[in-house]
Amino acid sequence: MAAVLGNTLIDIRAVTKSYVSGSVETPVLFGVDLRVERGDFIAVMGQSGSGKSTLMNILGCLDQASGGDYFLDGADTRSLSRPQLAAIRNRTIGFVFQSFNLIKRMSVAENVALPLIYAGVARGRALAKAKQELERVGLGELGKRTPNQLSGGQQQRVAIARALVGDPPLILADEPTGNLDTQTSDDIMRGLQTLNRERGITIVLVTHEPDIAAWSRRLVRLKDGRVLYDGPAGEGLRQLAASHEQAAAGSPA
Amino acid sequence: MKVLQVIVEALRSMAANRLRTALTMLGIVIGIASVVLMLALGDTMQRFIKKEMQMLGTNMVYVFPGGDRTQAQRMRSGAAPSLTVADAIALNRLPSLSGAAPALQGNFKLAAGNETAANLVHGITPAMFKIRNWKIDQGSMFTDDDVRAASRMVVIGQKVADQFFYRQDPLGRYLRIENVAFQVIGVLQGEGRQLDGDDLSEMVLVPITAARAYMVRGPFPDNVHYIAAQGKSDGMLDDAIEDMKETLRDRHRIKFEEPDDFKMQNMATFAATAGKISAGIAALLGLIGGISLVVGGIGIMNIMLVSVTERTREIGIRMAIGARPRDILLQFLVEAVMICLAGAAVGIAIAAAGAAAITAAAEFDVKVGLSAVLVACGFATAVGVFFGFYPARRASRLLPVDCLRHE
Repeated sequence: MAAVLGNTLIDIRAVTKSYVSGSVETPVLFGVDLRVERGDFIAVMGQSGSGKSTLMNILGCLDQASGGDYFLDGADTRSLSRPQLAAIRNRTIGFVFQSFNLIKRMSVAENVALPLIYAGVARGRALAKAKQELERVGLGELGKRTPNQLSGGQQQRVAIARALVGDPPLILADEPTGNLDTQTSDDIMRGLQTLNRERGITIVLVTHEPDIAAWSRRLVRLKDGRVLYDGPAGEGLRQLAASHEQAAAGSPA
Repeated sequence: MKVLQVIVEALRSMAANRLRTALTMLGIVIGIASVVLMLALGDTMQRFIKKEMQMLGTNMVYVFPGGDRTQAQRMRSGAAPSLTVADAIALNRLPSLSGAAPALQGNFKLAAGNETAANLVHGITPAMFKIRNWKIDQGSMFTDDDVRAASRMVVIGQKVADQFFYRQDPLGRYLRIENVAFQVIGVLQGEGRQLDGDDLSEMVLVPITAARAYMVRGPFPDNVHYIAAQGKSDGMLDDAIEDMKETLRDRHRIKFEEPDDFKMQNMATFAATAGKISAGIAALLGLIGGISLVVGGIGIMNIMLVSVTERTREIGIRMAIGARPRDILLQFLVEAVMICLAGAAVGIAIAAAGAAAITAAAEFDVKVGLSAVLVACGFATAVGVFFGFYPARRASRLLPVDCLRHE
């Protein structure tokens, strides 16, 4: 089972997830299969309750699947201990969240440096690397500020710098533009696209906005915990638009 | 994760909630201040007792008249009503003693020039100087001949000399005691209160015969107020005390079943009493300190639990970017320990101020030593680790997905 081809970064097979609350078991994912090659740019779409956030948490090793297999960069994540999973989140994955998730008490530079510090890099070197990464996202001069002093778009760019500071092969972006205006959203998406094209970083993006999903190459649509569509983004978005029109036409409005 | 980073973050977190941190520390501050003061006082008492014992010798024994017998019992047995010079002479002959000397004492009016004051005056013999290890700073002590002649001579302590003969050479001058002029022939060396309650610098010493003739008048001219005796060596003191008891009971014709008509006190008893008192004070401070540390520790545990809840989302962020459970554990544990150490620093400062106040108010030199500081830091760290561990472990066991969902 562990035979994972060198070019496959994410390999999910028949993954299920259910939440148990007391004696009630609520299934969320019903056997999802997903393979992501290195260098791909994928958007995961679905309505709320479709399981896209759950899938994202499992992909990010923030949560464990209830059944099935998940190989990330060749590692069987379901057999890993908590410290090992922490190491994977540290080195293999860079997270970008909808609410930026910067630590408010720390300066921008320290926020960016934190993944390196958890990786065991000395404070001085980590801060130097953080400064480089901030310059890449165009915020070189703001390192000393605290996150509260930045605009939403700037905060998200800081979060992207933090995600990139450890040079991970994978970026997981969960509604990265959900709290931003259209102009800023486009800037952020253009930045992610550049990362994907120029640095070959694999990007998995969760969104419910077709405009944002349009930046990706490949689209995965989830519905009720199952994969509804997995293919080229353009084709998938056309189907999605068509289904919306149908629904609108069919409704007795 | 580097220790430096953890400490920096702990300090930042403490600084972010200054008032809360200060209130949390309070129990530790009180606890550590008590513990440090306890150690400082204990140390001071021990040094003091040790010094006193060296100066006085542990083989000193005082005999006082009285004891458990009433006057009626004494009269019935036909015994001498009290201690006498003859008792002292008899004791002086005991082979287990290196000497015994009688003394009279009383509060009398002193005067020189315009200065008057009441002071304790001892009537003694030259043997007393040897037994009590008194040294002369200037001049000389009186001799056995002076005692036989009841000479009006006096040896005084430094403070008395300063009081009555300020900036003058007291030797050869006259000090009036109960309106009788005594010539100052010597000044006693040393100062400070001794374990038996005498302050060397406040001494006024005259020949016992002169004291009898000019101050202490009464119906029993042979009576003395106390006898000071010195055993030959520390190890033999119990035997010497037994010998003294036997001799005195024999001389006072006390029957087998009847109690003594005298009391004996030796310096070891004084030292033991002083030791007990200081141990009592130390135990009280230790108790206060211990209770405060436990209560303070519980306060820290409580605040750390609140802090973990408040910072759940932050914990989730940290886990998402690669913090291992033990990084989270360390972060909260170090923060708890740092709060304790900061509290300990304040507590040590308060204890040092307290020690300085005691030194200024009393005649004891109370110092906060390095060992007390180290013990305090050790206690503080232990409290931080003990009470910080549970909240820290709880934080480290949270699941990243749950933390990130937390608002």
